[in-house]
Amino acid sequence: MARRTLVFAALVVALLAAVIASLALGAVKVPAGEVIDILLGKGDGGSDQQIIEALRLPRTVEAMIVGAALGIAGAVLQGALANPLASPDVIGVTGGAGFGAILIIILFPGSIALLPVGALFFGLLAATLVFAFAWSGRNRGSTGKVILAGIAMLSLFTAGTTGLLAAYPERAPSAIFFIAGGLTSSGWQELEVIWPYFAVGFIIAACLIRPLDRLALGDDVAASLGSRPQLIRLAAGIAAALLAAASAAIAGLLGFLGLVVPHVVRMAGGTSSHTFVVPASAIGGAALLAAGDTLARTLRAPIEMPVGPFMVLLGVPLFLWLLRKAV
Amino acid sequence: MPDNPPKQDRRAGNTPIWRENGPSTRLLEASGVEVEIGGVPILRGADLRLEAGKLTAVVGPNGAGKSTLVRAVSGLQKMTAGSARWQGREVSEMRGRELAGLRAFVPQRMPVPAGITVREAVTIGRSARLRPLRRLTGEDYEGIARALERARVTRFAERALTTLSGGELQRVQIAIGLAQEAPVLIADEPTSQLDLGAAIGVAGLLRDLVGEGLAVLLVVHDLALAAAIADTVVVVSEGRTVATGAAAEVLDHERLATVWAADARLTSHEGRTALHVAWLQQPR
Repeated sequence: MARRTLVFAALVVALLAAVIASLALGAVKVPAGEVIDILLGKGDGGSDQQIIEALRLPRTVEAMIVGAALGIAGAVLQGALANPLASPDVIGVTGGAGFGAILIIILFPGSIALLPVGALFFGLLAATLVFAFAWSGRNRGSTGKVILAGIAMLSLFTAGTTGLLAAYPERAPSAIFFIAGGLTSSGWQELEVIWPYFAVGFIIAACLIRPLDRLALGDDVAASLGSRPQLIRLAAGIAAALLAAASAAIAGLLGFLGLVVPHVVRMAGGTSSHTFVVPASAIGGAALLAAGDTLARTLRAPIEMPVGPFMVLLGVPLFLWLLRKAV
Repeated sequence: MPDNPPKQDRRAGNTPIWRENGPSTRLLEASGVEVEIGGVPILRGADLRLEAGKLTAVVGPNGAGKSTLVRAVSGLQKMTAGSARWQGREVSEMRGRELAGLRAFVPQRMPVPAGITVREAVTIGRSARLRPLRRLTGEDYEGIARALERARVTRFAERALTTLSGGELQRVQIAIGLAQEAPVLIADEPTSQLDLGAAIGVAGLLRDLVGEGLAVLLVVHDLALAAAIADTVVVVSEGRTVATGAAAEVLDHERLATVWAADARLTSHEGRTALHVAWLQQPR
C-alpha cells in the first residue's frame, strides 16, 4: 500500500515539475516563481503572461490531456484484453487515424484544418470495423478475435497510408511531423472541437476501473460477481478508441505512450490493481508527454522537433530498467 | 428452430417456490435444462434442486455435461430450453447484480493477476454487493474479514496470489465467492487439481460451510469424495440427469457399469469411503 502511495506521489511531483518546465521554458525563459504567480492569477499582465496564457498554457494542457488519454487507453485495453501487448495500435485506432490524417495532408493540402477531423473519423472507423468483425460469428468478443481483427485493420490502413505517401512523394515531408507525433502552439482551437471525445472516453474509463479488476480474476469470476465480460471488453474498446483517436487528432501518432506507461506504473507500483494502474497511467502519461514536449521544442530552439522520439528516449530507458527488475 | 420451440415453464405465473415449500429452503429449482453450443446439443434435459444447508454433488463421465449444467443454472451459459429459478425467479430474467446476491460461482482455476493480494481479491468479490462507483463501507470491510475467516485464509491475507499453493488458491477462490454473501456457493471441480491433503482441506471447508446453512453445489470427479461429503448426488450422463439421491442409492454397481463403463463398487464405513475398481476389466 505504502509503495503505491509513494509511486503515485512521485508521479504527481513529476507531472508538476514537467508542467512548470513546459510553461517556463522556450524562446523566452520565464522564472518558475513568475509562472506560478501567473497560474494563480497574480501576473502583472506583461508579455510573459501573454506568452504563457496564449501559447504555452494551451500546449501544456494539450500535452497533459493527450498523455493522460493515451496512458488510460493503454491501461484499460491491457486490462480488458488480458494482454500485455495491447495498446491503441491493436484495436486499429492508430492505423486508421494515421490514414485519415495523411489523406488530408496529401490529397487536400489546402484544407489542413480538417486534419484532426480526418484522424478522428478514420481512427474511430477502424476501431468500429475491428469490433464489428470481432463481435460476429462464434466466440464473439474473445480476446484473440479482437487482437487479430485489430492487427488486420492496422495492416490495411498502414498499407493505405504507405500507398498515399508513395503516390505523392513530393508531399510526404509534411506528413512526417504527424507520423512522428507532435504538439503545436495553435491555442485552444483544436481542444475546443475535440474535447467531448476525451470527456466521454475519460468517463467510460472511470466507470471501468472496478469491472476491469473483476475481469482480471477471469471471465467466470466476473460473471459470478454480476458483470458481463464481453460488455466490459466492448466498453474498454470504445473508451480506448475515443481517447486514442482524439489524441491522434491533436498530437499525431504516439502509440508508444499507450503501450509503455501502464507497464511502467504497474512495475513501479508492484500491483496490477486498476484502482491504481488507471489513475497512475493518466498522471504518468501526462508527465511523460509534457516533459517530452518541453524537450522537443527547447533542445534545438527555435526549431521544433516531433515529440514522439523524445518520449521514446525518456520512456524506454525507464521501461527497460524496470523490466530488468520485474519478476 | 420452428419445429423445436423452447419449452415453456409449466410453473410460470405460479406462486414462488419458496412460498410453497415453507421458509426459503428451496433455493434453486431447475428443470428440463437444455444447452446447445455452436449447434451441438450438450445438455438434453437436466433437473436440479438446491436447498439450504445441503451439499449437492454433480457427478458423471467426462463430456457428460456436468460443468455445462452448473454454468447454465448459474447464468454463465445461455440455456436453449428449460427453466432455472432462483428463489422463484427465472435466471435469464435477472440482472447480473441480483443474481450475484443469490449464488456465487467458483471456477476450477482462475487466472492469477500479478501484484494482487488475497485481501484485494476478496475485496473484488465483495464489490458484487456494491452499486457502480460506490465506495466500500465499514460493513463491507467486515464482510471481507468474515469471508477471509470462513474460508480460513486470514493467516495469509496479505500475501500475493502469485505466491500461493494450489490448495491455498482454491480456498481464496472460495473466499471470493463467500464475500458475495449469497446463500448458494457453486464450485466447478474445486478439488480435482489438488493433492490429497489439500483436497481434504477444501472438502472439510465446504462441509463446514454447509453446516453454517449455505447450500453448496459441486461438480466432482472423484466418486468416493462425492459419496463422503454430499447429501445428494446427481448423476449426469450424455446430457441428462439420470439419477438423484443419496450416494449409496444412486452410485450402485449397476449404475457405475452403465454410466462409467466400470466394474466398481462404492463402500462406506464410519465416514471413510472407497471405490473398489476392477481396473483391468470391462464390466460384464
